[in-house]
Amino acid sequence: MVNTSSDIAIKASGLGMIYSPGLFQRKKVGLQSLDLEVPAGSIFGYLGQNGAGKTTTIKILTGLQFATSGQAWLFGVDVLRSESRRKIGFMPENPYFYEYLTAEEALDFYGKLSGMDRESRKRRTDELLSAFGLNHARKVNMRNYSKGMRQRLGLAQAMMHKPPLVILDEPMSGLDPMGRRDVRNAILRLRDNGQTVFFSSHILGDVEEICDRVCVLNLGKKVAEGPIASLLTNKVVEVALSFTGVPKEGHAESAKLAARSWHDGAQYHVLVSDEEKAQKVTAMLQSAGAVLRSMVPHKESLEEYFVRVTMSGGGAGPEYSRE
Amino acid sequence: MIIFTIALNTFREAVRDKILYVLLAFGGLLIVGSKAIGYVSFGQEYKIMADMGLAAIWMFSGMVSIFVGTGLIYKEIDKRTIYTILSKPAQRWQFLLGKYLGLALTTLVNMLVLSTAFLAYLWLSGGLVTVALLEALLMIFFEMLVVTAIAIFFSSASTPILSAIFTTIIFFFGQLTKWIVDLAGTLQASAATDEARERYRVIGGWLYKVYLLLPNLHTFNIRQEAVHAEPGVWIGAHELWYGTLWGLAYTAAVLLAAQLIFSRRNF
Repeated sequence: MVNTSSDIAIKASGLGMIYSPGLFQRKKVGLQSLDLEVPAGSIFGYLGQNGAGKTTTIKILTGLQFATSGQAWLFGVDVLRSESRRKIGFMPENPYFYEYLTAEEALDFYGKLSGMDRESRKRRTDELLSAFGLNHARKVNMRNYSKGMRQRLGLAQAMMHKPPLVILDEPMSGLDPMGRRDVRNAILRLRDNGQTVFFSSHILGDVEEICDRVCVLNLGKKVAEGPIASLLTNKVVEVALSFTGVPKEGHAESAKLAARSWHDGAQYHVLVSDEEKAQKVTAMLQSAGAVLRSMVPHKESLEEYFVRVTMSGGGAGPEYSRE
Repeated sequence: MIIFTIALNTFREAVRDKILYVLLAFGGLLIVGSKAIGYVSFGQEYKIMADMGLAAIWMFSGMVSIFVGTGLIYKEIDKRTIYTILSKPAQRWQFLLGKYLGLALTTLVNMLVLSTAFLAYLWLSGGLVTVALLEALLMIFFEMLVVTAIAIFFSSASTPILSAIFTTIIFFFGQLTKWIVDLAGTLQASAATDEARERYRVIGGWLYKVYLLLPNLHTFNIRQEAVHAEPGVWIGAHELWYGTLWGLAYTAAVLLAAQLIFSRRNF
């Protein structure tokens, strides 16, 4: 029995997508037997390389595509029913809007489509245009908007009716550092308000910083899912050491244990793969008269984890022959 | 509510598009130019003006329906604006119907502008504004409702260029449906041998199928009768009712077919 209760914002069971491009072309697997549960009130990162199936999943969830197998629910409502979309706000990748509309006209239009009354639309438009720094351009046609401004308006329209679930496809793509910070803060504010955020991204540093849980896709298949803390190994994977006053003979000895070593002015840096080697190098160089300035152990980052599971993980492969 | 929101947005899109004003300007020029041609037809100048005015309104309204309508759905998909609409609680049939009604409203406003200019110009030039002319204008509007539905149908399944070609072909062949049926009868009657009669019977069968499939746009053409009608004389309620009902039924069928395609599409 599939649990579709409303404390689960997104639920997918055996979700699959096979694209049939044409009569004589090979079918492509977009997604294969995806099982997924996104708890309400969390920030969920959806990761994968280009073509891994992230956008396909998002399009199925938002009613833009129809899965060829399996089923999905938003707060317990089947995604095939239009009511499921009452509770979501969605920003597609590189969002486009009607160029002939101004920002306030666009938000009013999306508010109407979401069933908001005139007063709420006006109030919310003012709030969001201020929150996303678009107040100065509220009466400017969107054909004159920069990419960053479109992205911010995309977020604003997704949040217009205060949906309990916000789905964002690559919300940080193509943004400058300030823009990315604004998007990160907006996502965190949504969670603080009790809303759920499900977003795909390539910018793993941002994902690691703000997400509670992640799912990693590879070639249409889920290869990992869970809270970030439980996915990343707690083991030290690298130790960075810095010394001063290292005599020349110490260089050759330490280089044997080091993954990498180099000079930076008066400082000598050594990277080793574990703590045991770090202790050995330190003891060796200190006995030769060097002074240890810093020792920084590195644990596995999400990016390293992503590379590891993607390289070793399975997946359906981008395509298979027609039977 | 969703249907009207999409319809009003489609209308807003059309009225903010320069192509509409270019078509309106050309239509207006043709109406004004009709007087010059009227001068060379001694005693017939008002009939020529009315004839050319109605033709201009018919042609330019058709162009608005075809050229705006055929790009309507495709543009939404191509520019990906459809993503932010269909991800709202809008159902696909509501989106399609909203787009259709928006373009129908654009056609109505476009026709009102051109018709007002035409009737005012005719009246100021000394011609008579008859009820038959109003009837003819109404029938042009009904015809445009059908053409708009056909444009939307192709737009939901094909590119704007192909859609425009198909819709234009149907727009013109739709005027000739009466002759298609006549042709089938004439062919069979002219057959000299049994073999020829059988061949023409098969051809006639196919022509009849084409006739059934094509919109009978000829039904809406009462322009000649309107131009020659006496003041205060209606052409007939029968034509109006038949045209209205047939137009609505055909439009509904075409939109239903468009929805069948559109509802299965992945974006």
